[in-house]
Amino acid sequence: MATLARPVGGAGDPHRRPNIASADVQLPAVRDYEQVDNEIVATMRPTGGWFAGLGLAVVCMLIGASAWVYQIYWGLGQAGYEPPLMWGVYIITFVFWVGIGHAGTLISAILYLFRAGFRTTIYRVSEAMTVFAVMTAGLFPIIHIGRPWKFFWLIPYPNWRLIWPNFKSPLVWDVFAISTYLTISTTFLYIGLIPDIAVLRDRETNPVRKRIFSILSLGWRNSDREWRHFARAYLFLAAFSTPLVLSVHSVVSFDFAMGLTPGWHASIFPPYFVAGAIFSGFAMVWTISIPMRRWFGLKHYITLNHLDATAKVVLFTSLVVGSAYLIEFFIAWYSGVPAEIEYFYNRVFGQWWWSAWILLICNMVFPLSLFSQQLRRNTTWLFILSIIINIGMWYERFVIVVPSLTHEFEPWQWGGYLPSWVDMCFLVGSFGWFFMWFLLFTKQLPVFALAEIKEIIPPKLKGTHKHDDHIDVTGKHQAFEPDTPGEFA
Amino acid sequence: MQGVLAAFRELDAAVHAVEELKQKRVGDVTVYTPTPRHEFEDALGSPSSAVRRFTLVGGLLGVTFGYWIAIWTSEYWPLVVGGKAIASWIPYTIIGFEVMVLVGALSTVFGMFYLARVPRLTMTVGYDPRFSHGDYGVFVATTPDKFQAAEELLRRHGAAEVRGER
Repeated sequence: MATLARPVGGAGDPHRRPNIASADVQLPAVRDYEQVDNEIVATMRPTGGWFAGLGLAVVCMLIGASAWVYQIYWGLGQAGYEPPLMWGVYIITFVFWVGIGHAGTLISAILYLFRAGFRTTIYRVSEAMTVFAVMTAGLFPIIHIGRPWKFFWLIPYPNWRLIWPNFKSPLVWDVFAISTYLTISTTFLYIGLIPDIAVLRDRETNPVRKRIFSILSLGWRNSDREWRHFARAYLFLAAFSTPLVLSVHSVVSFDFAMGLTPGWHASIFPPYFVAGAIFSGFAMVWTISIPMRRWFGLKHYITLNHLDATAKVVLFTSLVVGSAYLIEFFIAWYSGVPAEIEYFYNRVFGQWWWSAWILLICNMVFPLSLFSQQLRRNTTWLFILSIIINIGMWYERFVIVVPSLTHEFEPWQWGGYLPSWVDMCFLVGSFGWFFMWFLLFTKQLPVFALAEIKEIIPPKLKGTHKHDDHIDVTGKHQAFEPDTPGEFA
Repeated sequence: MQGVLAAFRELDAAVHAVEELKQKRVGDVTVYTPTPRHEFEDALGSPSSAVRRFTLVGGLLGVTFGYWIAIWTSEYWPLVVGGKAIASWIPYTIIGFEVMVLVGALSTVFGMFYLARVPRLTMTVGYDPRFSHGDYGVFVATTPDKFQAAEELLRRHGAAEVRGER
């Protein structure tokens, strides 16, 4: 691993790597459209490793499913809840997975509006991750209500009881926010996939698969008329998704901030949650894409320049959440409310001190390493850091939920919490559920956006350019960095 | 629909062919491209997409419905707490916003499908699978008496293959 202190040399230093602006990140080692199709479609062939991974994910999912059956039979008491703590691993994991989903929409929608060049190759992975993460998150409130078959009571529909949900309840806001987010993310993913499914349809020789792709591609022909309306619709979907993603985690934070519980009742929660969500989501993008670029042999698509650019986003969001953590302590002190002051003292020095320090070290200290350009381009370190950040972000939600509920206003309300084995099975099951869908997706549909990658590849021109000399579409020369020390192994 | 279909390997060759076809008014031109290119948009001079109207109408309907359902149901079954307003616009803005995004985005997709004539049940004439892969396609809808002139024009600009479609 490179040292933190190793400086980047001057302009003449042969070890110096260019600090490429994120908008200029291109794919110098990809020559033409045929190469894009051939290499990316080749990743859809199932391998032994893929079957093993899918098997593991299904086993984990079944562990969670079994725990759910057990809990339905024996009741919600199996979840380790006892007064005063009636929220635990379910709500923690719900917020964790909603947060994971946010980076996907940030990459696919917000960075699209900002014309950030580094999003192109990672956006499909991220968008799929969003859909599956929100599908995972959506399970937890349903599990948590104890009688999951009655979850539809939260949806406003004309019913014989003439009862409507209370629209002033954060739980109902959650229903609207999460269901809208899942619908729009899925739509956005599918709309982006249509031209790529058309590629699969045109290449496919198996008649059954060809028929399925024909239906899924909706008869897409790549005509100028289709592209004209597609591009505009895609822009508006991105424009809708941008405030949507900010609203969803704000609404999730209202689940806490609307309560008078110490540690929760703060107006800083929405921006703090949104930044944390982007932070953890980018970490999950690394967790998925760094092994994938190696296993699929696509290091020239997700290049070190791409990872470097994402690392800068992670560093920035780490600084934002770090500031939020510290400001929370200031707000508690400045408020003069004894219960708030007591709670925040207890957070770092009391009953749950260890969880707060895991959070602070994982989310504030380790990401500071990304100030080093060497480490931003070291995929092994980025992968390890992604795991550290995900652990830290799960603990962030633990620190929000558990210490607050076990240390409210009156000492007689104070208590403890120990997650039960049912809780832990659900946690394992959620990862199994998420990765099961993701792995199935990787072999059925392209995890790299074919049409969008082709947009940044220099088109073939008649005799003027050879385009095999690393000239990108902007006319700039970009050296491809095929291999560097510290590669993920 | 009948006309002449040409496949081009190079972008500039296809763009120049489209420009000349438009200039000589041979017939309606359709371009097939594996990825959207502004060069074709400029050459074809197509009007901007009307998808935005669907977006606007859908968004307005959505936000109206979101506020209405929250306000109407509150008034229908009032929950009076401490003399506070029964219908409070601040929390209902969340509902209004979310439904605006939901209906606005879905109507955008509907608008795109409607305007782009998708879903399409058949490929009809004038399509070749290579146009999703790497080649650019130019289809000019014209009568058989103009086929030869159109074919010559397309070949002159460097079409890799030209064929009549009926």
